[in-house]
Amino acid sequence: MRKVSGIRGTVRALGAIFWKGIKHYTRYPGGFLLYLILPFLFTLLIFGMGQFIGGGNAALNFAARTGTSNILVYEILGSAVWMTSWVVVEDVGVALRDEQMKGTLEQNFLAPVNRFTLLVGISLTDIAITTCIFFIVVGVTLAFTMPGAYLGLLQAFLLLLVGLVPLFGIGFLFAGFVIKFKEPYVFTQVVNLVFGALTGTYYPVAILPYWVRGLSGVLPQTYVIENMRQIVLANQTLVSLYGSIFILLALALAYPTIGYAIFKQLEKKASVTGELSKY
Amino acid sequence: MNPVDVKSLSKTFETREGPLLRKKKKSLIAVDNIDFSVPSGQIFGLLGPNGAGKTTTIKMLCTLITPSSGDAYINGNSVCKDPQKARENLGVMLTGERTLYWKLTGRENLEYFAALYHLQPSDSKKRINYLLELVGLADRENTVVENYSTGMRIRLSFAKALLNEAPVLLFDEPTASLDPQSSRLIRDIIRELKEKGHAIILTTHNMDEADILSDRVAIIDHGRIVTLGSPSELKEKVKSSDVIEIEARNLSDQSTNALESFSEVSKVAVSAVDSTDDRGLLRIHAEKGKEVLPRLLDFLVRKRVSITKVSFIEPTLEDVFIAETGRSLRD
Repeated sequence: MRKVSGIRGTVRALGAIFWKGIKHYTRYPGGFLLYLILPFLFTLLIFGMGQFIGGGNAALNFAARTGTSNILVYEILGSAVWMTSWVVVEDVGVALRDEQMKGTLEQNFLAPVNRFTLLVGISLTDIAITTCIFFIVVGVTLAFTMPGAYLGLLQAFLLLLVGLVPLFGIGFLFAGFVIKFKEPYVFTQVVNLVFGALTGTYYPVAILPYWVRGLSGVLPQTYVIENMRQIVLANQTLVSLYGSIFILLALALAYPTIGYAIFKQLEKKASVTGELSKY
Repeated sequence: MNPVDVKSLSKTFETREGPLLRKKKKSLIAVDNIDFSVPSGQIFGLLGPNGAGKTTTIKMLCTLITPSSGDAYINGNSVCKDPQKARENLGVMLTGERTLYWKLTGRENLEYFAALYHLQPSDSKKRINYLLELVGLADRENTVVENYSTGMRIRLSFAKALLNEAPVLLFDEPTASLDPQSSRLIRDIIRELKEKGHAIILTTHNMDEADILSDRVAIIDHGRIVTLGSPSELKEKVKSSDVIEIEARNLSDQSTNALESFSEVSKVAVSAVDSTDDRGLLRIHAEKGKEVLPRLLDFLVRKRVSITKVSFIEPTLEDVFIAETGRSLRD
């Protein structure tokens, strides 16, 4: 039996994992549809609360604090990035536990494939899914509210791609945690809500207390959301935002490295304790 | 060098048990210092009751569990030091039907795993066609696995283990939950694989399967290999005794234990005939069985045991297990 060796073998394995993920998404479409609907529902919820609390001055207060009067686009950009981070934490973080519960994780670990390849393969599926979510949610919103903002949409997408890399690192970290500690949805629900609160999803990070802003500063979504708003709503370019893009790139290096190192340690421990086989 | 060499392999699990704030550490020895090897073209059966350590052994061999001590070599590759190389030389079927992606079709499952095993696309297509034909699923290859019967899923899982034509094959209870026809098909394929020179390890708690398939059998209990040899060698060991099988109702521990006080009786094991009723099956190893039988029956009747069937049987691997451990495989 001839084998595909080296990098070609890895690419073939990555392709298989990617397509397996896409097939699952298309055969269980409910999850994907939920990711498309939630950004609009959350935005509506925030909009209603803003009207209720701010009353007649709500729009004016919003403009004074954010520098834009386009509430819908401002909130949808935050929602779309939050959903992206939600998908990554749920998918990369929970995928292995999900496979563990289904019984297929062991089958993957039996194959002569590096664990990193398995995680990257899942991440590739997520790039495709989050790209679809982004273009459908943000693209549709811009088409109706800011027609012709294609250049901003494209730059915002490039920014999202850079921002996905550190998110995958966070996903790797959670993949290790959930293999070790089980109860994945407790982890991911809490983390996703904390991410939503700390990264400026629906309000500027500047309104948060000083010490909380320190936490926001180490989360990649904070930079993606803020810069995306600058690009789409304030006509900035990726080049002009190089300072925070540089931070994002540094996080893109740090998170996957730390996330995978911790994942490896926890996975090794799980192999010693026999945890991998426990449902 | 044999395709499989297991050297002083042990596994101890550390668990924490007890109420939430007063959990105590507990050590469980799952596999205790076992040694064996399997040459090419041989089927090696690991026979033992549930919880004996068979699956833990298999999982250490296929690198899913790290041994506490000792090592095993798959085609010369250490499972501890070079697990990826060891996996390249292995085809594994683990117990159960939940080893497949239920939302993928049978063919898609095999294509996915063929890619993980780095098979050339053109070769893998031919191999998948062959395997689907072999396990009788060619006409259902495009059906999603969730619509398969249990037997079909197990056959597909078996085919998956053969994808990479590995020199070493590990089958963990390959015919569990299969109907007789599918079991026969799997056994025939396993024999063919042996003829082709694969080294095969088969775990089972089905003594008949171990007997008819294995060239050598290791009987494992509480993590230790209690005896090892060819099925005929092992059965020869218990031929000095007659084996009496008594099916009865109303068996108590007291009455069965008391049977061992008969000087001719060397071992007594009891198991349930069927979990849905109260019938038990006594297996008695006794010298001069025909002479002692009337006294045994008389004793049981006096203990108000209701006897439904009595027979003398040829010793099986179950009797080897009873002779070595004093318990039935089905305990």
